[in-house]
Amino acid sequence: MTNEMQFKTIVAQYCEVKPEDMKNDMRFREDLGFSSLDFMSFLGELEDTFDVELEEEDVLKVLTIAEALEMMEKLQQEA
Amino acid sequence: MGILIRDILENSVEKFAEIKAVKWLQKKEILERSYEELMENVVAIRKGLLAEGFQGKHLALIGVSSVEWIESYLGIITGKMVAVPLDAGLPGEDLIDLINRSDSEGLFLSPKLLPLLDAVLAQCPKLRKIWLLQEEEAQVGNEKVVSLAELKKAAGNNGADADRPNPEDVATIIFTSGTTGKSKGVMLTQNNLATNVEYVRYTAEPGTPMLSVLPIHHAFCLVMDWLKGFSLGATVCINDSLLHMVKNMGVFKPQVILMVPMMVETIYKRLSAADPAIPKQALAANVFGGNLKIIFTGGAHLDPFYIEKFAEYGVNIYEGYGMSECSPVISSNMPDDHKPGSIGRPLANAEIAFDNGEILVKGSSVMKGYYQMPQETAETLKDGWLHTGDKGYLDEDGFLFINGRVKNLIILSNGENISPEEIENKLALGALVGEVIVTGENNGLTARIYPDMDVVQAKGLGAEEIQAGLQAFLDEYNKKQPTYRQITGLIVRKNPFIRSSTKKIKRQEATIDEPLQG
Repeated sequence: MTNEMQFKTIVAQYCEVKPEDMKNDMRFREDLGFSSLDFMSFLGELEDTFDVELEEEDVLKVLTIAEALEMMEKLQQEA
Repeated sequence: MGILIRDILENSVEKFAEIKAVKWLQKKEILERSYEELMENVVAIRKGLLAEGFQGKHLALIGVSSVEWIESYLGIITGKMVAVPLDAGLPGEDLIDLINRSDSEGLFLSPKLLPLLDAVLAQCPKLRKIWLLQEEEAQVGNEKVVSLAELKKAAGNNGADADRPNPEDVATIIFTSGTTGKSKGVMLTQNNLATNVEYVRYTAEPGTPMLSVLPIHHAFCLVMDWLKGFSLGATVCINDSLLHMVKNMGVFKPQVILMVPMMVETIYKRLSAADPAIPKQALAANVFGGNLKIIFTGGAHLDPFYIEKFAEYGVNIYEGYGMSECSPVISSNMPDDHKPGSIGRPLANAEIAFDNGEILVKGSSVMKGYYQMPQETAETLKDGWLHTGDKGYLDEDGFLFINGRVKNLIILSNGENISPEEIENKLALGALVGEVIVTGENNGLTARIYPDMDVVQAKGLGAEEIQAGLQAFLDEYNKKQPTYRQITGLIVRKNPFIRSSTKKIKRQEATIDEPLQG
């Protein structure tokens, strides 16, 4: 299982929203103000932190925190 | 008179034969190509193209940075041929349009883009051959489609070599956003490119590792990472994905990187989020790979705040200015001559003038014109002076500053120039969209939409349903677009846009409205 708080702490590096104030339906770009590159860099950090490999084509479909958490859990289950 | 990219490359191969020209990752292994090996492939591709009858023809390339891509590009432009690099992230229909509009007769295609193949074959009648950028044999069941490896063998061992181009021959056509909504093909000659390489004064020791993180179809990356890097005998390392930019700095340990401001901003977020107890030197080694000294930025203006902050980590940022039409560098700060906040001194081959504050440029790196667009060319190039669309001034020390724009283009901090009209034309097709204006806000694009009231009334939609319907439409649009053309903000207007006496929407007043809700 992805540690949700650890995940949100990484999200918080790229935005002004505190981990405890994040709602899972928040969108990275529209609600949290991520630039396209913030998002890529953030995903690179997820790879390192949770030891998973992400495919660029798949991650571009992810819009919200909930979708990213779901993707991470799926990847960790497969690993 | 003039110089060729072929002259520059041959000179480098003579001087730096054994030095690594390119390094890249395959899985976790670092692969490399020396200058001598690179040139062998370039010559084989050039001879192959001649043997296949492509001398004087246009050849498109679609793919992200790879050693095969750059060898093919050099194979084309060191012969008497024209290379047309295209953005691999564009939707298929746009790529097909650009292949056709550039009159390309051959195409170098990344194997990752094989799903495009059927549409390209069906809709690009001028294409005679497609080479997949791979060493393995192409097995797609169509005689027009072969691999790069087969092209390299096409001329045989004693095949004739292509003629040297003339300095005034067009070497490359680079597509850039047009203000009228249609992208324009910037024609750059051999001499345009070669003098830009020559007049950017930066030098480095042979073998200096550079990390190439920008898209290779952009002039800034293509000319300054690759052609300039090769002229110095540098080792150009390929960043395989923006996901791994920081990790790859640790792998390749570059001394120099070219970036757009958005990259600097993202890296700074990582630096500033780190535990303050970690010494800055240790943090810099962790994030930048331990060897990074210089970042050159371009494509958009960088807040000087970052220059100061990065210096604390031992990394100097030098901002420059350019556009595809100028091959691309017009001015740049340099390690030995810089002023934060400025975009540096103009290159010695660039003459600068001002017309009502607009920066005009004349010189050997200014394009020949836009491909098959005489009207747009005449509007931009007047008496040899290129009208940049940017407003600026030279200070008393000769440093250039920018302080505004004349044209409608939106410049994002990732360096992408966005034509709002191009996107508005597509968004206007939405059933719920009455009027739309796209603006650049918070480092992204915002669509301001006045709904089609006939549809709203016919369906009896409320405010929330309109918002949800438009957002769903934008999500669908975004799925088919490269990230820089995606809409990340939506504002639904209560009133139609304010129009001028000629019934055109007043773009400058697009943000004036009453809120729809509340």
